[in-house]
Amino acid sequence: MMTSEAREQLSAVATVRWRLLVNSLRSVRGRLNLVSRSIAGLLVTAAALGGAFALGATAWELASTGKLQWLAVFFWIVFLFWQFFPIMATAFTQNVDTSALLRFPLTYRTYFLVRLAFGAIDIATALGLCWSLGLLIGISAAAPRLIPWALLAVLGFIVFNILLSRTVFVWIEHWLSRRRSREVMGVIFFVLMIGFQFVGPALGRYSKEPAVRRFQYIARVEPAQRVLPPGLTATILTTAYAGDPRRALAILGLIVVYSGAALWLLHLRLQQQYRGENPEGNAGPRNVSPASNIVRRGWKLPFFPAPVSAIFEKEMRYFSRSGPMLFTMLMPLIMILLLWGGRKGFLGSKSDFFFPIGAGYCLLVMTNLVYNSFGGDGGGVQAFLMAPVPFRQVVFAKNLAQLAVLITEILILLLGVSLIYRSPRPAFLALTFCWYLFAAPLNFGAGNLLSIYSPKRIDYAVFGRQRASETTIVASLAIQFAVMGIGALAIFVGYHYSDYWIAAAILAVLAVPSIVGYVILLRRIDRIILTRREVMASELCRA
Amino acid sequence: MDAAILTESLTRRFGDFTAVQDVNLYVEPGQFYGFLGPNGAGKSTTIKMLTGLMAATSGRMQILGLDLAMHLVEVKRQIGVVPEGMALFGRLTGSEYLNFAGRMYGLDRTMAAQRAGELLEFMELSDHPKTLITDYSHGMQKKLAMAAAVIHGPKVLFLDEPFEGVDAIASGTLKSMLQRMIARGATIFLTSHVLEIVERLCTHVGIINNGRLVAQGSLDDLRSGISDESSAGERMSLEEFFLKTVGGPRAASQELSWLE
Repeated sequence: MMTSEAREQLSAVATVRWRLLVNSLRSVRGRLNLVSRSIAGLLVTAAALGGAFALGATAWELASTGKLQWLAVFFWIVFLFWQFFPIMATAFTQNVDTSALLRFPLTYRTYFLVRLAFGAIDIATALGLCWSLGLLIGISAAAPRLIPWALLAVLGFIVFNILLSRTVFVWIEHWLSRRRSREVMGVIFFVLMIGFQFVGPALGRYSKEPAVRRFQYIARVEPAQRVLPPGLTATILTTAYAGDPRRALAILGLIVVYSGAALWLLHLRLQQQYRGENPEGNAGPRNVSPASNIVRRGWKLPFFPAPVSAIFEKEMRYFSRSGPMLFTMLMPLIMILLLWGGRKGFLGSKSDFFFPIGAGYCLLVMTNLVYNSFGGDGGGVQAFLMAPVPFRQVVFAKNLAQLAVLITEILILLLGVSLIYRSPRPAFLALTFCWYLFAAPLNFGAGNLLSIYSPKRIDYAVFGRQRASETTIVASLAIQFAVMGIGALAIFVGYHYSDYWIAAAILAVLAVPSIVGYVILLRRIDRIILTRREVMASELCRA
Repeated sequence: MDAAILTESLTRRFGDFTAVQDVNLYVEPGQFYGFLGPNGAGKSTTIKMLTGLMAATSGRMQILGLDLAMHLVEVKRQIGVVPEGMALFGRLTGSEYLNFAGRMYGLDRTMAAQRAGELLEFMELSDHPKTLITDYSHGMQKKLAMAAAVIHGPKVLFLDEPFEGVDAIASGTLKSMLQRMIARGATIFLTSHVLEIVERLCTHVGIINNGRLVAQGSLDDLRSGISDESSAGERMSLEEFFLKTVGGPRAASQELSWLE
């Protein structure tokens, strides 16, 4: 039984979360973010209801035709989404650090409840719940005699998922709290993400195999899935449907055991936290190499003033120390490799398009960096504001570093495309170059403005925590969409006239206003920063 | 001779709230000036305005005779700042950061590297050549921020709470460096909550309360009560004078009834 003090504490935490949301609306940016969040909320609602309806209809069809064993597929889909989405999309979810509550006199039970209840309020849980309910309704409508079993099975499935997702999250959070293990985790996540990209091609390949072979693959995997909770959930229903309630109950017991295991692991972690572990895992004194008194000279970029060189060097060092950013850089090439999949003569003459498409993707993956270019600097932004350097030089140096990264990325891509397919024809090289002349200054200009008007402190060292503000995300995506659309339109014109030099010419013409606009904006940056410096510094210096 | 720091009716408002009102500061070259005040009195806001990190709503500011609004870049070249957030780049090493800071202040690459090396030695940070700043302790970060603020040999140094969170050893290093700078003619303007440090280091003090400058003068004059007519003749400690000026602790009757 919960004590009145525990109830008060839980209610206080709920109030704090509510006040955090309300207070975030005080600023214009907060209100703009609310609009972006509302749009995201609508999308989530649509996904929840649409998914629930689709799964419900499928479950109804399977239950009415007696093919209950196929329900396992859908429980697996829900399970995988529920468990993997929060990890993959930490960029889209905001987690309040409830471990900060430890300084208050919370009992362990209250602390556990707070972590469990408030941590579970996320998109994946909302969608997972809706979809599970959709399955439950579908099964119940098709086979009313299964209602009690469906209720028990789905309830067990939901409880297990909530517990497991929290367990996974707190353990990952624990590993992420140490910088080194955080970076290792970043690499693992990234490899996982890449692994997921293989699912499509793999499915595509298997779908082309004869049906007998496909069934052989499925038969090999099937026993393994049956002993895991999503498979067990479906088995409860098939067993109950077959009129074997004892066995169904025993299988339900297995889900309870799985949930118990998840609960124990969660308890293990939260108890360590509750007992006051050192979350940052202070490395303590370490062996250092004898002092190297020689401090190397900084870089010197020819034709550019010293501050531009210094900022360029700093940006490149930051970039080279960000594991996630480095991996992001390789994404376009990986995508091309995945699309190719080792097939000989893949797409034939259409392979010319790989280079411009890959180049477009290169710009896209740079969005976070370009549109929130001071985010990674945190409090360091004050160094730029205090220095006797015109701010346009700071912004220009940052753009120069971003351009250098882009060029490197495109060169790697060009090399990859040339090795895998063939060197792109000159017309395609030209149209890609001209598209960049148009798209890069436009992106840099817009990125500079948003970086100043809507900055958000981020940590480029941590995977999945490089999210810019909601306003920036929406605005940058709109700009990218427009820029890509214009590029596609120019290519379509070239295709229509069977001459891609026309596309290059169109893009070259569009590049002129884009470059002029960038230069004009750059010249005004010093005036803009005078009005924005306080907001920018306070936003980025915030802990 | 121009004042090192001069403000006239310096005011800063945030909406309806006035953080700094009609502040007239006068700091002569070579002075070690302590800027004191209770929490929220307007110290950091003033220092931010003086260093170009924040605009003033009204009033005039001059640093070394240069109007801040007219010659912002030139003023920045002459000053060094350790702001509230220290302005460090966590993912650089100490030497990379100092190199960066030196070049931002116009030093050539060789000189920036040479001074960075010297400063790292002086601040006892050279044993950590590969450590990223984010992995430094708080005290090490403070020392590094201080090193970056002085790498170009500024004539005026602004320090916002330089000793906060710094241990006695690091604090000693910082103090000796500041005293050497004063001996060489630099002007230092510092805010601190630690009155003992101010009393030991500073020659002049200004006290701000509720956004207004309520006392200003040499430490000796203030302690002797010369700038405070009500206590003329009495010699007080800085703490006594400070508490007297800003209002002091609440009376016993105002204490919390439920605390035994």
